[in-house]
Amino acid sequence: MINPMQIALIKKDLRNITSNKRLFSVMLIVPLALAVVLPSMFILITIFVPKSVSDFQSDFQSLLDLLPQSAQTGDPGHMVMNLVLNNIMPVIFLMIPILTASVMASSSFVGEKEKRTLETLLYCPLSLKQIFNAKILASFIMSMMVSFISFITMILVVETAMQLTMGSMILPDIGWLIMMLLVSPAVSLIAIILIVRGSAKAQSMEESQQRGVFLILPVILLAVGQFTGIMLVNSWLLLGLGIICAVIALLAMKSSFRKFNYETLFK
Amino acid sequence: MKAVIANNLSKNFSQDKKALDGVSFTLEEGAVFGFLGPNGAGKTTTVKLLNGMLMPTAGTCRVFDIDPALEPEQVHKLSGVITEHAQMYDNLTGFQNLVFYGSIFGISVDESRKRALTFLDSLDLVDAKDQKLSAYSTGMRQRLSLARAMIHKPKILFLDEPTSGLDPESAQSVNNLIKDLARDNGTTVFLCTHQLRYAQEICTNYGLIDEGVLLAVGDIGELRAMVFSGMTITIKADYYPEGMSIHRNKDGYCEINVQSEDEIPPIIRRIINGGGNVYHVSARQLSLEEIYFTLIERRKEKRRAKK
Repeated sequence: MINPMQIALIKKDLRNITSNKRLFSVMLIVPLALAVVLPSMFILITIFVPKSVSDFQSDFQSLLDLLPQSAQTGDPGHMVMNLVLNNIMPVIFLMIPILTASVMASSSFVGEKEKRTLETLLYCPLSLKQIFNAKILASFIMSMMVSFISFITMILVVETAMQLTMGSMILPDIGWLIMMLLVSPAVSLIAIILIVRGSAKAQSMEESQQRGVFLILPVILLAVGQFTGIMLVNSWLLLGLGIICAVIALLAMKSSFRKFNYETLFK
Repeated sequence: MKAVIANNLSKNFSQDKKALDGVSFTLEEGAVFGFLGPNGAGKTTTVKLLNGMLMPTAGTCRVFDIDPALEPEQVHKLSGVITEHAQMYDNLTGFQNLVFYGSIFGISVDESRKRALTFLDSLDLVDAKDQKLSAYSTGMRQRLSLARAMIHKPKILFLDEPTSGLDPESAQSVNNLIKDLARDNGTTVFLCTHQLRYAQEICTNYGLIDEGVLLAVGDIGELRAMVFSGMTITIKADYYPEGMSIHRNKDGYCEINVQSEDEIPPIIRRIINGGGNVYHVSARQLSLEEIYFTLIERRKEKRRAKK
């Protein structure tokens, strides 16, 4: 399915983004802020802010009430962190694949067009579809790599902090598995395809990256839902979301190729 | 097998904008074809049509018997293309760029490296091989583009203004390279240019195009025949016999048009027999440049007459 020429192209795309310090730092700083700084802040809040258990509980009670009965036991700090890690963080975490995929895809498609290297690429003996597939795959690999690195870093930071401050650990639940293996890949693909579809028209990378913002909006709504307690993310919701996103991604991918030929790309 | 066959090739970008209007020509394998015309004449459009980057509105074309509209990838295997818009990666070195382009043409990394080094050597870019492309001058970029276009040893090279923006020295070296390439490897070259003097040095055939219409095709002799196939002699003498049809120039030089070389000695003899001294005699045929301007001018006149 993937031939050596496409692999060369994928490698080049990956190297291209890692060697561009400005783009690569955007791609790393935001995920790290979301996956490391944010949970760390939650841990600090749970440690330093509450003066007594009752004060603390009154602040967080409305959130904690949403937890299933079985989870409402034990140390309140532990309960809050469990809520943060397994219910709030997954939604916020979704921004990481969206952002990474958007930055990478716009660099890979519109960036090449902007720097006039796309035309050179089109003169190679790969078909347009093969070139696009390779580029989509490159963006996808990058997005997945950043997501997994962020996830592992987040878990390491959270567990270490928990050990040091509360002397106990919390485990990521099954929702994270669905998140990392289904939702995150599907959302990455959607972001990439959105950018690819806009790449024929977009004249600059910045213009193209902004399309990714459309995907961030529903995520923000979901996140607001978490904090206000309207709806709490659980494994079933994630699974449903993941399946819907995967279907959208596959359909979008199939239909996006029809729009493209050499001529539309040159305009 | 013909390298290129264009048959009534036409391309409209919109209803009233004809980029190419019924262009037909054939190109033998190994020919160095100079495709000449002013900016916007349709040269780049032709290159794109021949590489399947554009679909013809009417007519057909074939490159080594492959229809680029149907199988562009097959044509790309055989062709190397340089256009103004086909740039390489600024963040890679010259060497890395060549190796990358080699590998997307299906050449193994080892072989790509080997070929890249050979090209860098012959293009005088060895010293700059590990410099990022962003540090390259226009001339160096253009020479590297030539190496990039040839890394897969194409049977036909499409060069769209390969020497534009180059200083005379770089332009000369690029031209010599193209000439050597055609002579040594038998590579067919499709050279779009408006630098007519360089074209005359390296091309074997020409096509003249203006506003999408092919005005003339052929070798220099055939083109000359369309304008004036004779020669112009320039003479400097202090006496010209009566009745000799001469155009007097400045500095005492005169020009006489003749049909062939054989007419020159009698003219000189008449001057000398009449008691004149001859200081200079030279003969030359119409240059490509003169033919080009005459043909373009003729077309303009025709259009004016129509209006």
